[in-house]
Amino acid sequence: MILLEVVTAISLILAVGGLTASIYFYVKDRTAKRVLIKREQDVSRRMFELAILKELGDRIGYSLDVQQIVDVITGSLHQFIDYSAVSYMLLGPEKVIFKMHLERSVHQRFVNDIKDRMLGSLSALLDREITKKDVKDVISGAIIVEELDEPVRSFFNIPLVIDEKVVGVLTVADTKSGLYKEEEMTILYKIIQQASKAVTSLQGVVKAEQAKVNAMVESMADGVVMTDTDYRILVANPSVHAIIGKTNKTDLTIFDFIDNLEGKFDIRGKLEESVKLNKPFKSEEVLIRDSFYKIFVFPVNANTGEGEEKNVVGGVVIFHDVTAERSIEQIREQFTSMIVHELRTPLSGINKISELLRAGAEKIAKKDYDEYVHMISADSSSMLELVNDILDVAKLEAGKFDVRKEPNDVRALVQNRYDFFKPSADDAKLMFHAVYDKQLPKEVSLDQAAIKQVMNNLISNAIKFTKADGTVEIIVAKHVKGARVADEFATIPAKASIPLPEDAFVDAPDSLLVAVSDTGPGISTAGIKELFTKFKQLDTKSETGLKGTGLGLAIVKGVIEEHGGTIGVVSEIGVGSVFYFVIPLEKASVTSAP
Amino acid sequence: MKKVLIIDDDVTFQLTMANKLKEGGYATVAALDGEAGLEQVKAEKPDLILLDVNMPKLDGIGFLKKLQEAYAGEKQIPVYITSNLSAIDKISEGVSLGIKGYILKSDESLDTILSGVDSTLNPRPTEYELPEAPAA
Repeated sequence: MILLEVVTAISLILAVGGLTASIYFYVKDRTAKRVLIKREQDVSRRMFELAILKELGDRIGYSLDVQQIVDVITGSLHQFIDYSAVSYMLLGPEKVIFKMHLERSVHQRFVNDIKDRMLGSLSALLDREITKKDVKDVISGAIIVEELDEPVRSFFNIPLVIDEKVVGVLTVADTKSGLYKEEEMTILYKIIQQASKAVTSLQGVVKAEQAKVNAMVESMADGVVMTDTDYRILVANPSVHAIIGKTNKTDLTIFDFIDNLEGKFDIRGKLEESVKLNKPFKSEEVLIRDSFYKIFVFPVNANTGEGEEKNVVGGVVIFHDVTAERSIEQIREQFTSMIVHELRTPLSGINKISELLRAGAEKIAKKDYDEYVHMISADSSSMLELVNDILDVAKLEAGKFDVRKEPNDVRALVQNRYDFFKPSADDAKLMFHAVYDKQLPKEVSLDQAAIKQVMNNLISNAIKFTKADGTVEIIVAKHVKGARVADEFATIPAKASIPLPEDAFVDAPDSLLVAVSDTGPGISTAGIKELFTKFKQLDTKSETGLKGTGLGLAIVKGVIEEHGGTIGVVSEIGVGSVFYFVIPLEKASVTSAP
Repeated sequence: MKKVLIIDDDVTFQLTMANKLKEGGYATVAALDGEAGLEQVKAEKPDLILLDVNMPKLDGIGFLKKLQEAYAGEKQIPVYITSNLSAIDKISEGVSLGIKGYILKSDESLDTILSGVDSTLNPRPTEYELPEAPAA
């Protein structure tokens, strides 16, 4: 039942997780989405482990009851052997259990005599003194009668050995003499031996399971701590030590937890509640030492068998680290607020202008009027651009970005973009060139509109980040499989501000290679990592004063990948950056220009 | 004529707001970022500041901090934060830095903002005055 609840709780967690994933469509590029999916799978796998763990914990919750087994043996012994009394002494957790079953009534002295003899032999076997005060008595069967003062005349003692350790002794005794001959003794030995073997192998199973559980708990990334009903710590894995900052302390107590959780999570209260109500508990996010955790508390039951009431023997507390999920959530929020801001700004601008225009055209100075019209146009275009970008990203991530490849004159396409950007490059006082490889096929199969968008993005970035007197160069080349890009560039001739990494082209087939080189400020290694994700510009915006949603490069990457190509960047602080992409040439189009 | 400084990198807001304030009888000066804003404060000594949050170079909160440092002990210039972001944390940070108010640009008309400026710079006399005690 509890297991069922745990499973339900887990499926709930997974269901919520799935929902969150689906609304993340615009959060990350597809690589990051894969990471997210993988994380979720990890969580679900761990939750599954947890379910197994709990089941095993429940099974191990009850130790193998040797006494029960011995009871079964002694209960059926009289079929084989005759005796007045059968008794055993077993080492219990606190006391030695002495249990005697009388087949026939005997005198109290008979009982005392056997007890003394058994104490003697147990002490001898264990090599330590066991006295009457260590023993708890249970007498059953026939009654003790004072008139029948018969002494012990036959007596036979067998040590109970489990897993090569003496755990007790079993004794048969009678008031008649000469009862236990070799035959009876053999039978008894055999029975005891069989039982001992069975118990030993059962204990082996339990130990193996325990080891499995321990190994699993030890290696779990989640912090796991198990306590008994008195909050004594039974299990605490390395992760939980780290969480409460007690890596080197071996014997943790509940107070280590209470002190180090600093009142952020009432571990004892929740354990008490969970154990008392026999119900699992799940916390909200709790901040412990710079990390966020969801904390789960489960009661641990000893399975006492079908239909019987469950016996709660303790509780398990699991600390599940949700810091990574949380930071994704934060990025998502930042991104949303950025989009909201970028959409609201032009919209509220248009709104304000219309408020002023309502005064009537005749009341507005011609100069202001012209400026308003110009601003409406600029505001609406920037909004349109953003909306288009958002839609493109959404399409790319939904896998619905259609790339319509057609044979295109790539040289004409790039030249068209060059001509388009030439005036802004001139305004920025830049050297601006486009160079073309003669080996380039006349036509390359690609989506004209999409590649135009890519070129717009790369060229406008290069111009934006390069200071006056710097150089922006567009290089359009054919890369031949196995050739060195540096050699290929030399024959054009072309020179990028930073040499392209030859390693990246080792496995590339014959391809179209386009590079946009600039002599801008360069990008740090850390910056390059984040470049193609959607948030890139968020950080740089305030420093450079350049606006942008940072969606551009994410779209560029998506478009190139949809073409079956790859995109990359090399950069050096203070020297410049080169963005390049390769698109494999399709067989039909691998014909050199005449 | 009282002078309002608009610090905003959104040129549309800058122009439309300035025109509206002129209608309302104010002089205006403008800056595109926090740094330029500080220079304008020094040069123009405005009576009120409309301050954007998200700006290049020095953002709104950074501007407020520097303003406090530079003019500690002097009479504070009333500052309204104007933004298109309903960022609670920015507002509360602004409040802790002593801002006069917060205006969500996209939600408020130019008229409303103007009346906010009016109420701060030209407060009307209290409408209810205690009746004078009748002469005995």
